[in-house]
Amino acid sequence: MKEFEYYRAKNLKEALNYSKTFGKNKRFLAGGTDLIVRLKDNLIKEENIIDIQNIEELKGINEVNDEIHIGALTTFSEIIESDLLKKYSPLIVEASKKVGSPQIRNKGTIGGNICNASPAGDSIPPLFCEDAKLFLESSSDSRIVNIEDFFIGPGKTILKDDEILVKIIIKKWKKGESGFFNKLGQRNALTIAIASSCIKIKKSDGRIDDIKIALGSVSPTVVRAKRVENLLKNLKEFNKDELIKICNEVEKEIDPITDVRGSREYRIEVSKYLVFEALNNSLNLRG
Amino acid sequence: MNIKIEKKEEKIEKEKWIGKKVTQVLSKEKVTGKIKYPSDQYVENLIWGKVLRSKYPHALIKKIDISKALELKGVITVLTYKDIPGLNGFGIAVQDQPVLCHDKVRYLGDAIALVACDSKDLLDKALELIEVEYELLPVVDDPLKAKENIPTKVHENGNIHLHTVINKGDIEKGFREADLIIENEYRTGRQEHAYLETESGFAFYDEEEDMITVFCGGQYPFRDQIQIARVLAVDPRKVRVINEPMGGGFGGKDEITTQIHLALLAYHTKRPVKMEINRDESIIFSWKRHPMILKYKTGVRKDGTLVANEVYIYADTGAYASLGGPIVNLSVEHSCGPYRIPNTHIEGFCIYTNNGVSGAFRGFGVNQVTFAMESQIDEIADKLNMDPVELRRKNILEKGDETGIGSKIETSVGLKKILDEIEKHPLYKNREKIKIDSSDYKKFGVGIALSYQGTGLGVGLPDYGSAWIEMRRDGGFNVYSGSVELGQGAKTTLKLIALESLKLSDEDKVFIITGDTYLTPDCGTTTASGATYRSGRAINIASQKMIEILKKEVSEIYKIPFDEIKVDDGVFKNLNDEKIISYEDLAEILYDKRRLPRTEGHFNFPTSKTKIPGVFGLPHYIFSFSGSIALVQVNTLTGKTDLIKAVNLIDGGRVVNKIGFEGQSEGGIVMGMGYALMEDVLIKNGEFLVKNYSTYLIPTSMDSPYEIETIPIESFEELGPYGSKGIGETTMVPIAPAITNAIFNATGKRVKQIPATPERVFFSLHPQNINMVSDTKMT
Repeated sequence: MKEFEYYRAKNLKEALNYSKTFGKNKRFLAGGTDLIVRLKDNLIKEENIIDIQNIEELKGINEVNDEIHIGALTTFSEIIESDLLKKYSPLIVEASKKVGSPQIRNKGTIGGNICNASPAGDSIPPLFCEDAKLFLESSSDSRIVNIEDFFIGPGKTILKDDEILVKIIIKKWKKGESGFFNKLGQRNALTIAIASSCIKIKKSDGRIDDIKIALGSVSPTVVRAKRVENLLKNLKEFNKDELIKICNEVEKEIDPITDVRGSREYRIEVSKYLVFEALNNSLNLRG
Repeated sequence: MNIKIEKKEEKIEKEKWIGKKVTQVLSKEKVTGKIKYPSDQYVENLIWGKVLRSKYPHALIKKIDISKALELKGVITVLTYKDIPGLNGFGIAVQDQPVLCHDKVRYLGDAIALVACDSKDLLDKALELIEVEYELLPVVDDPLKAKENIPTKVHENGNIHLHTVINKGDIEKGFREADLIIENEYRTGRQEHAYLETESGFAFYDEEEDMITVFCGGQYPFRDQIQIARVLAVDPRKVRVINEPMGGGFGGKDEITTQIHLALLAYHTKRPVKMEINRDESIIFSWKRHPMILKYKTGVRKDGTLVANEVYIYADTGAYASLGGPIVNLSVEHSCGPYRIPNTHIEGFCIYTNNGVSGAFRGFGVNQVTFAMESQIDEIADKLNMDPVELRRKNILEKGDETGIGSKIETSVGLKKILDEIEKHPLYKNREKIKIDSSDYKKFGVGIALSYQGTGLGVGLPDYGSAWIEMRRDGGFNVYSGSVELGQGAKTTLKLIALESLKLSDEDKVFIITGDTYLTPDCGTTTASGATYRSGRAINIASQKMIEILKKEVSEIYKIPFDEIKVDDGVFKNLNDEKIISYEDLAEILYDKRRLPRTEGHFNFPTSKTKIPGVFGLPHYIFSFSGSIALVQVNTLTGKTDLIKAVNLIDGGRVVNKIGFEGQSEGGIVMGMGYALMEDVLIKNGEFLVKNYSTYLIPTSMDSPYEIETIPIESFEELGPYGSKGIGETTMVPIAPAITNAIFNATGKRVKQIPATPERVFFSLHPQNINMVSDTKMT
């Protein structure tokens, strides 16, 4: 492990100052579940590590009118235990249960998961389905961006060198909304997704009013399957054959790679089935 | 026959310790983390060692320059092949693996240099400063190509390390007699042992005794001692090897790992030296289960009688021999399964490549062929529309039958009882009903498989057990055995055998000392499911001698005829059951006379009288048998398979310790399901695609079955200690094909390559690159 400078920020202001001072040449230590592993493997070229673990302003889950605000340093264990999220955004709770192991969920944070920008980040597909907004702050400015606009590629985001992700804002679930998160791994725990799918549906009178489908691990970033969403929205009758035809369109929305976890071909094929499984679960179809 | 059974029952009744549930020795220390493994040892003046391993899977070494590394402050020494006083080679069967490579590297784990530093933090820096010039060679990575006469040779003598051919009966005639011929090619993965503790160790030099002590996990301290002494060119007595405590072996520590490197550093620096092997390094340099390509052609009559089996086995042994030859021979021996087949043609190839190194691993070549053969049997049952138990019952081996290689089975066989138990087990009986419970796209299926496993090393190999027992002044006994406690429970099992043989009732009266060349007799290698058998018998023999001596003493002291003295619960009694004297009091008397006795027990592992011409180590004489039932759930949308419930039926002879027995079985099921469903060290072009446990996945508790049931089938083995055989390996073998057969039962598709990853199962269900079709099941 190579040497680095270590700074501990006591509050957000201090963290933003460090951020401004070091710009590109720094990494934040949130939960450390990814950073420490990378440090040990000599994969971190930045020379300054800013420890933000103790910043209270970045923690907590709060109800603000019709929104839920999740602090960037909220751990997955806290998300899983949160009554607010269980009630108003169960998809994020479900996805958080699938992250790593109890130890990793105790340390790992949702903000860390987002800023790592892995296409396999378990918490990201549900945030796509929730149309989450990210509140970013620098020492001089702040802005809110849509989660979909945040990612550029694997490990790449639009976060500026002096910015910090402060919180994630989602809308509370309304009546008639339901969803399904589906992670396919090589085993049942402590595994990185081969592919994942998340859908959120709003139904009324047996029709789909709104549907969002997000797919993980099958493109450089998590992606929305918008073509498929539109086809489903226009669907008058949910018969199995129609659904299958639509699920086959998933192929056109993704661009996976081959790695030790699975081949491109498998990821393409299985993504269709994952969406199908999610629809099957959410629509309670009878074929 | 009846007389024997009565005798056996009489024995069971009398026994105090055999068959009991006894907590494993040291389990509390292991669970609480108090136990000190070699990597927990710290002493003053300690230095740290590390290995420079090859940068390329196949290359010539043109130059090694260590001058810059030596200049680095804090570096104590850098060693290369030039610093080896004796033989620059090791290997259990043939010493074809260099301790430090001189002119060629054959895999990424090859060692080129050793560094020792004051501080652990300097090691990587020092390694970086060693300059090695390579000339790259083409990489041999395909065993099928490697075995042909290709110009690139991993070793000078060519790429085929061993080729074994067995013919029995007339294979052509056999196929002519067959009504159905099933032909398939199977492939198996490269499994990593995944022991908790890597191959870390500690060594020091004792000037007064002029002795090097190496403290490192291993499975045969006396062979480690010889392999080290040969490299250092010293008298083996000047090398002490302590293998305990260790965090697991599974066969992976049978061969040398870190021992010789530790000894070399201690030899040259005369200082205590420690080496910590991290997981990435361990995965690259250490032994794996042989990946095999298996071509099977099996002929059967309409009524289910097996008539012919043609088997070709291609094993990727990687860069060096180690135990590759004996492993492939075991594959050959067990390739036809525990069945009577009159006509066979079996060929086994052990092939060198640059794909890491393969070596000993629980099952020792039997896992691969059992997967193939049990898949064949399952397919035959399906094609003939026969019950899988019925088909097997028609063909299973009985005492006196010939195995696939034509050797007669002369010892106990529990197969019939295993099949009876399978047949009446609710999981098997209700398998059709269970399938109905399948929901939507999640399909249930039940599969079964049988296996057998030769225990002991086989014909022509030295295989013996020895034990010493000494009486202590307090009336207890120290029992010395060269077997090693790997975590398998040997210490506890041997202790129970000693307690029983010495007729004791107090558990604390026996103290077992194992795994140390300085303290214990040579007891052969702790492998091949044989520790209970060979060491147990030796302890049994030494105990009998001990009791005889003690009875003589009592007879002399009390003037009671020898034959009128009985021993029970550590007390000598006369024929009227009246107490004469206790062990404790006798020990005091003997101590005063300076006559506390010490006895030895020696036992040669029984081997077959038959020999298979030209085939080393075959056949085996004692066999353990096993069967498994697996209930799986396959998600047909993704291919993901879960093992829901597993049943293991084990004939390892009498069970000595029920806790150890169940532990071996449950561990075997989980290790076997990992082999069946997910474990594979992927190597491409000699490079490791899987480097640690983030990509090499073993089952977690979330993957393990909800229930594992272990049913002992206790066939009494006359020669074994208290009728015991051995179970270490066979407990993990049949579960893998039981799982793949269950996948077939659930989906109607057969997976011919393990691990049966979600991807492989998916593509067996859905033809590649074809869109979802509307027969996708939904209820």
